[in-house]
Amino acid sequence: MDDVLAPDLISDLPQSIIETILTRLPIRDAVRTSILSSKWRYKWATLTQLVFDEKCVISSNDRCKVEDSLVKFITRTLFLHQGPIHKFQLTTTHLQCCPDIDQWLLFLSRNDIKELVLELGEGEWFRVPSCLFNCKKLTRLDLFRCEFDPPPSFKGFLCLKSLNLHQVLVSPEAIESLISSCPLLESLALSYFDSLALTIRAPNLKYLCLEGEFKDICLENTPLLVAMSVAMYMTDDIAEHFEQSSGCNFNRFLGSVPRLERLIGHIYFTKYLSIGDDLGRLPVTYVHLKVVELNQVSFEDMKEILVVLRLITNSPNLRELQISGSSNTLAAIDAPDLDFWDDQCPSDCTFKQLKLVKMTDMSGVPHEMEFIKFLLANSPALETMSISPCVYVMDGRLNMLIELLRFRRASAQAEILFIQD
Amino acid sequence: MSEVDMAVIKPEMMKSYIWLQTADGSIQQVEQEVAMFCPMICHEVIQKGMGSSKNYAISLPQRVNPAMLSLILDYCRFHQVPGRSNKERKSFDEKFIRMDTKRLCELTSAADSLQLKPLVDLTSRALARIIEGKSPEEIREIFHLPDDLTEEEKLEPLKNTTDDPRIRLLNRLYAKKRKELKERQKLKNVEVEEERVDDRSVDDLLSFINGDNGDSKGIKTSKSKKKNRRRKDQQKNTSANEVLKTHNKELNGLNSVCCSAEVGQKSRGGVGATSNLNDVEDDIFTSKNELDDGDIDDEIDPALKEKIDREVEDFARRLNSDWPERMQEILSFGHERKPVHFSLNGNGSLRRYANSEQR
Repeated sequence: MDDVLAPDLISDLPQSIIETILTRLPIRDAVRTSILSSKWRYKWATLTQLVFDEKCVISSNDRCKVEDSLVKFITRTLFLHQGPIHKFQLTTTHLQCCPDIDQWLLFLSRNDIKELVLELGEGEWFRVPSCLFNCKKLTRLDLFRCEFDPPPSFKGFLCLKSLNLHQVLVSPEAIESLISSCPLLESLALSYFDSLALTIRAPNLKYLCLEGEFKDICLENTPLLVAMSVAMYMTDDIAEHFEQSSGCNFNRFLGSVPRLERLIGHIYFTKYLSIGDDLGRLPVTYVHLKVVELNQVSFEDMKEILVVLRLITNSPNLRELQISGSSNTLAAIDAPDLDFWDDQCPSDCTFKQLKLVKMTDMSGVPHEMEFIKFLLANSPALETMSISPCVYVMDGRLNMLIELLRFRRASAQAEILFIQD
Repeated sequence: MSEVDMAVIKPEMMKSYIWLQTADGSIQQVEQEVAMFCPMICHEVIQKGMGSSKNYAISLPQRVNPAMLSLILDYCRFHQVPGRSNKERKSFDEKFIRMDTKRLCELTSAADSLQLKPLVDLTSRALARIIEGKSPEEIREIFHLPDDLTEEEKLEPLKNTTDDPRIRLLNRLYAKKRKELKERQKLKNVEVEEERVDDRSVDDLLSFINGDNGDSKGIKTSKSKKKNRRRKDQQKNTSANEVLKTHNKELNGLNSVCCSAEVGQKSRGGVGATSNLNDVEDDIFTSKNELDDGDIDDEIDPALKEKIDREVEDFARRLNSDWPERMQEILSFGHERKPVHFSLNGNGSLRRYANSEQR
């Protein structure tokens, strides 16, 4: 077939389709299309999504060279670009503090940027310039390893829906005021902060993800929160702070989230919740809570067990429960207060919707077994209960199995799976 | 007809059909739930009440020919069934999309005109996968794109990768040079000067390619200088003006990524540079002058090639420093102009070629 006579297959497709195709290419390939033919010269230039990473430039061992190439590539792309830029993403370990980034942000702030993702390298953290705070149309902001310092006159991002700050140096007041001044904020993720004490007021917040050392979190105004995932690390002074704290963390954290559907807690989350005075009956019932996952629950700590019980007994529609234990087996073997389960444990609660229970890292200590017994006895709709023993427990497995066999099951179709690794 | 259709044709069940007419005039009827999967058809039926009979068949957009319509209806027929799992849908899509590129493009166009977004996404993804990672020549061949950009235009956007860009660059420049040589011989200019000019310009090429901050800039300036030189030869004009113009061009060339070839030819003081900042990229699509010489790449003299390699490495090493100083030198040298050609050497000093003994 003579190529000269064959019709051009693709250049006459509507620009929207061409852009769809180009958006799916890595930025380098997309820009290269400019030399395909005269029609293709500027097809890429109106792309509204620009995603840059180290694959844009030729890799080499010379770090400076890669940095240089990347900077030049991005600058030139921006310079040749026409029209609004809605999404700008830069993920690199090579660039850190670089004056070009300031210029790019200035350029973007003039081009209606809506989504900005800056993931920069280790080393000296990039100081976010003030032009970022002029991006009025920003709906998504992801910053990794930056210094963030809003000017006093900053009134918030009025369109911001998603905020993700990961290893960002910013004062707690600034974060609090940033969160409260973004009225449309739906998704918030804060990770790797040091000893952060935070009150979150976000009337539209739906998704919350926290990870790091948090001294104090209070969800003051988050009525629409649907899902949250919290991983709390502990340091010595946070532990000390906890010891002196008197407010009830459980209430402060979970007291006003009536619409919660998913709760995931990692590391010291249950411990965090267990601190403070127990104010008795919870004011709120988690009617929508369907999935609860709590990791590293220490069953030798009665208070943590109470937290778990409190949570699940106030969730009538709970469907899925996942608990991983982190019991100090020596302490847990003693198991004081074992009679709690017979005496004080609420016996009238039934988990009517609970279908799946997964217990992992079980050591077979008394409180763990009592908890499993409690669940089995009160879950008429249970379908699967899977138990995975902790890898360090080799001898006690047989005993665990023997005990498990004896437990009464409220659900006739419940399957108990004992998962050996 | 599919099994679904067969099962449903029972006397007590009246299936409703929609009538569709393609641009070539042929009319067909399609099961309603299948056709309604396309938003455009749905709109026509609901808003305008069309499609209920042969006379009121919905006219489909021109981009939908019968073959494409049949494909689209296959897609709709599968996906409009609500009970399918994601896995099933995905594997159907994967098989569905296996077709030659021409049909893929036609299908994209047809699906777009029927506003069938999921299919447009699917085909766009497939087309993107075809384009990704391929060289421009390959892409042009697949899609029958005309290679109608001049080389300067190709340079204009960002750098693109080729293999051994410096070698290709040099190959092309030398090819150009060779062609020029031939032409000059035909014109029968003053031989001595010509030879001198030619030797020098070859050397100039080398240094410009590798001196300063970039291959392209080197090319540009060398090109402009070449052109200047030629004109000078023809006019036998060695006035300071000409020299200054060259000088300016050099400066501008150094400052810009690329110039259009016209600059070189018309000896303009200003360079019509079309873009950005300094670039030192190694990967670059070479620029040609209006001479097209794509097929002379292999004729480069191996010894020369080796020399060039060495020089390229050498100059590349020196490239990364002394930029401001070099600028100073260029600027300061503007005053002591003689009708000889000079070029910026990689070592930061201006070197003048006065005779052909140099290299």
